[in-house]
Amino acid sequence: MRYRVTHSTHYRYAARVTSCYNLANVVPRDTKRQRCISSRIVVSPQPAVSRSRTDYFGNQAYHFEIQKAHKELVITAESEIHISDRDLDLNLDFGISYGQALHHLRNNRSQQTLEAREYLLDSPMIAASEELAAYAQPSFIPDRSLKSCVADLTSRIFHDFAYDPAFSTIATPLTEVLAHKRGVCQDFAHLQIGCLRAVGIPAKYVSGYIETLPPPGEEKMVGADATHAWVSYFCPDEGWLEFDPTNDTSASSQHIVTAFGRDYIDVTPIKGVIFGGGEAPVLSVSVNVERIED
Amino acid sequence: MSQSQSPSIGQPTVPAASDTLEYSPQPGLLDETRAADGSVKPGWQYLLQSVGDLGPEVMRQREHKARRILRDDGATYNLYGKPGSPSTSWELDTVPYVIDSEDWAGIEAGLVERSELFNLILRDLYGPRDIIRHGALPPEALFGHGGFLRACQGLQMPGEQELILHAVDIVRRADGSVCVLSDRTQAPSGSGYVLENRTVMSRVFPSLYRDSHVHRIASFYHRLRLKLISLSPSGDIPRIALLTPGARNESYFEHAYLANYMGFPMVQSGDLVVRNGFLWMKSLEGLKRVDVLLRRVDDESCDPVELRADSQMGVPGLLEVVRTGRLVIANPLGSGVLENPALLKYLPAISMLLLGREPRLDSVQTYWAGDHRDLAFINDNIRSLIIKNTWRGSNEPSVFAGDLDETQLQALLARIHRYRHQFVAQEKLAKSYTPAFNGSGLEPRPTLLRTFSVATDNSYTVLPGGLTRIGTSLDGQFISMQEGSPSKDTWVTASEPERAPVPGLAPEKRHFSGESALDSPPSRVVENLYWMGRYAERADASMRLLRTVFVMLNGEDPISADAQRILLQTVSEITYTLPGFTTATAAQLADPEAELMQIVRDGERVGSVRSTINSMLLAADESKELLSTDTIRVINDVRDALDNLDGDLAGGLASAPEEALDPLVTALAGLSGLTQESMIRGMGWHFIEMGKRIERAQQTIATVKGLMGTVSGEMEQSTLLTALLTSMEVLITYRRRGREKRGIELGLELVLLDSRNPRSLLFQLERLQEHLVELPRPGKESGELNAESRALLEASTLVKLSTLPQLLQVADQRRPELEARMTQLADLLREFSRLITDKHFDHRSGPQQLFTSFGGTAPGVLNAGLPGAGERG
Repeated sequence: MRYRVTHSTHYRYAARVTSCYNLANVVPRDTKRQRCISSRIVVSPQPAVSRSRTDYFGNQAYHFEIQKAHKELVITAESEIHISDRDLDLNLDFGISYGQALHHLRNNRSQQTLEAREYLLDSPMIAASEELAAYAQPSFIPDRSLKSCVADLTSRIFHDFAYDPAFSTIATPLTEVLAHKRGVCQDFAHLQIGCLRAVGIPAKYVSGYIETLPPPGEEKMVGADATHAWVSYFCPDEGWLEFDPTNDTSASSQHIVTAFGRDYIDVTPIKGVIFGGGEAPVLSVSVNVERIED
Repeated sequence: MSQSQSPSIGQPTVPAASDTLEYSPQPGLLDETRAADGSVKPGWQYLLQSVGDLGPEVMRQREHKARRILRDDGATYNLYGKPGSPSTSWELDTVPYVIDSEDWAGIEAGLVERSELFNLILRDLYGPRDIIRHGALPPEALFGHGGFLRACQGLQMPGEQELILHAVDIVRRADGSVCVLSDRTQAPSGSGYVLENRTVMSRVFPSLYRDSHVHRIASFYHRLRLKLISLSPSGDIPRIALLTPGARNESYFEHAYLANYMGFPMVQSGDLVVRNGFLWMKSLEGLKRVDVLLRRVDDESCDPVELRADSQMGVPGLLEVVRTGRLVIANPLGSGVLENPALLKYLPAISMLLLGREPRLDSVQTYWAGDHRDLAFINDNIRSLIIKNTWRGSNEPSVFAGDLDETQLQALLARIHRYRHQFVAQEKLAKSYTPAFNGSGLEPRPTLLRTFSVATDNSYTVLPGGLTRIGTSLDGQFISMQEGSPSKDTWVTASEPERAPVPGLAPEKRHFSGESALDSPPSRVVENLYWMGRYAERADASMRLLRTVFVMLNGEDPISADAQRILLQTVSEITYTLPGFTTATAAQLADPEAELMQIVRDGERVGSVRSTINSMLLAADESKELLSTDTIRVINDVRDALDNLDGDLAGGLASAPEEALDPLVTALAGLSGLTQESMIRGMGWHFIEMGKRIERAQQTIATVKGLMGTVSGEMEQSTLLTALLTSMEVLITYRRRGREKRGIELGLELVLLDSRNPRSLLFQLERLQEHLVELPRPGKESGELNAESRALLEASTLVKLSTLPQLLQVADQRRPELEARMTQLADLLREFSRLITDKHFDHRSGPQQLFTSFGGTAPGVLNAGLPGAGERG
């Protein structure tokens, strides 16, 4: 499968910005399943300096510095991605059990396992807690296959929590998401990561895009797609596997990964510092995911 | 947790009867002066003998001298959380810690190896992470540590060593070996204090120092400088700057001291800007590229784009400049990860992996709560353990759990269990003891040594000696600068005098670029000099008028109520303590003591003498690196005079308060004289002088307006004129010239128009013009005068075109011409000052986050990256 993703971010400022320094995570990285064939970032106004690099997590980081006074900033990333159609083995009943997985994580000294343990720890936006562990616990039965435990947790989050864009801000603490049982994909991803870590399973945050299909008989609207977030967890016998709690599914060939991190903070699409700009910049984001080859 | 404090050094207890000093170690304690068989170690024999012969009286004198030098040098260590008195003088015990060179050689070899090992660990942790992948360090010990900065992955600098400076705290053990308590790898502090301690000791004990064959330490600093130069990203001679968090930092003194010693400008984050992929320093002459930063700011605070977003001490975009190799920072960003004490537990295994052998130096036995067996041990033995957060950035103090009550202990244990990876426990290590002079005798004190290593071509060089710190009492085991522990000079003594210093490292040899670092200080420093000049002059003018008023209020001939009112109201006007006397009732004016005393000594009241001088001292702190040693001494005189003010004023108005102000006036005059006599005529000088001239002009204008604007009776006129002439110091000249002209006319001429009088208004304006033409002029030259030149020209023309009879015209008991003219001049000067500061100083408003990690900005911003609607059917 081949996609073209256009991700455009537009800031409008109340006052002139004299200079800014930014870091963008808007170009999809390569993963086991996907390859970024080409990508292009256009920034307006023209940056004084810009550079792409691969960061700590293996993501594509794009740095730019603008020294021209401006009241609007537009960052547009256009990428072509190839994704393997072969869906992952979804037979949930096979594979290592939860109990074995915990044992493995404690005792196995393989490089992969040691490195995966980084994702057991608290991260800037996710602190494991007793509440999270208590919520996750019913899904995690030692004899049950780990995959099926995680699938069960994914389903429960999907059913127990309401998708509500009005409820959430970036800063919504997990305890509130848990208490009010609502949020958006980012909250659900954080929630599931917190749950997994709380029961001893390493988990990562995945930022990316999902291809949406128009209602039958309607044209798809350009720019109506969105950035998305889901979860990757470490399964000792199979490596990192992705689940999408917002859609109650494992990641499919319609999930395009931009970046992996411990949580949202590590993969923020655009961050930076501006000089000037006044109060309350207005932000609009548009995303277009276009399938260009089946 | 502080321990009980015994009297500190320098508070003499009962003087000893004898006139020699004996030192007797405390039985049962490990004493540095004694060998295993109880005999005095060779290195200590000469010292103890000499100190003993000097006797307590001479030692007290020497200690006094040491204190005076430290105070004159402005040696301070700022304690946190002590508002009001932000700095504390540096404490130096005058008995050095002696280590003979054979003993030292063993310690030194261990330290070199340790620095090499830590360098390899640093490179590994931000590179391949073999020590994780091969299981030498549990992943949680690294990944759960706040000092591990993922953004620093893969940073590299020229040369083999990434760890440029390494400080190690060591203690002596009973078998004579040393044991490491902790490592400092972030921005190790103390090496500047070592230099200061040595300078003081070599001056206070010149012959003892000379005869002891002490290893010199200067080459350490020269090697550091050479190393920093060698890090130049371009290969050219780099511009190196020392990055300090600012004057409030606890070791700010040493930042300024080291920067001056090595010839680097000292900068704060606001002095720096990233532009076009390079780092620049803002100076009056424009942006100057910076190639190497010697860092004293914690790494996580250095760049709000990629590190801590809420940092006020960072430079946006800094990390990316480092990443692209256009800037080198020493120690590198991310090096705080090595301060993790959990590393100590795994050091032998790590060393086996990286060096192929176990390290020579032992570290203190460390239990990491992330390890199950260690956690169990901590549970069982917590009362005898010191608990530390593994990350110093957590600002959680170490505690000796034995000092906690049951509730505190349970809370601590709960935290340890919740955040297991972030806690270690260490046993309380017995320290060795060295003699300290307590004002009357020598007593043993627990001793801790901080050593310093600097990267050289392919290895490390250790500063011979280091910073010794001792407990505040015999049993005070916690030794920390924040607890006020005194320091000692550390003497590594050779049996023979040391050879000449390493060739090529001679101090006089200058390595930095042709332009002297002092030619272009950061514009912030110059701005502070400008304000220092203004505040000094404002305080001076206030005190001159206050003195005059005090004398008149207490004078033999009582002054009239009218004159008293005008005098007092003028005081309020020129000190900017409005409304003050300007809205006072007749009764308040008749009894002005309380308000006057407040105007002098209430530091909380803006405009009071104390508050103005405090502002001046703050500005001086910020521009310390441009001030000469003499200037710093005089500034300390000002500080001392200010401290004594309350005592001197205790008698109130009745007891000659004017004399209480004399020491301050004299100290300020000394400061002014020094700027004239010993300051290089660079931008700094021009601005401090301009500040002074502008302020003096404004004060003269305000005083003339206040005292002369109103016309009252003959007697009052005479009183007020005398006040004017006295506070302007022209009374004698006036009397001498009094033949040709009448009273007020002559007085005003002297004060406003006489360009030979260094206090006259015209004199100030003429000097300002001279400074103005020396300022850098960015942009094109043209025939058109710039705005500040026009303002100044207008002001001096106004003064010159004034005629005295016109100014003195009277209408309705006032002098409207005089008042109008003075108001006009004051406005022009205010405008002039604004134009100058706007043009030359950086007043760009602070940065804001485009995207904030944790809320606080508009929801529109916060939604970046969130999915739109319709995601989920």
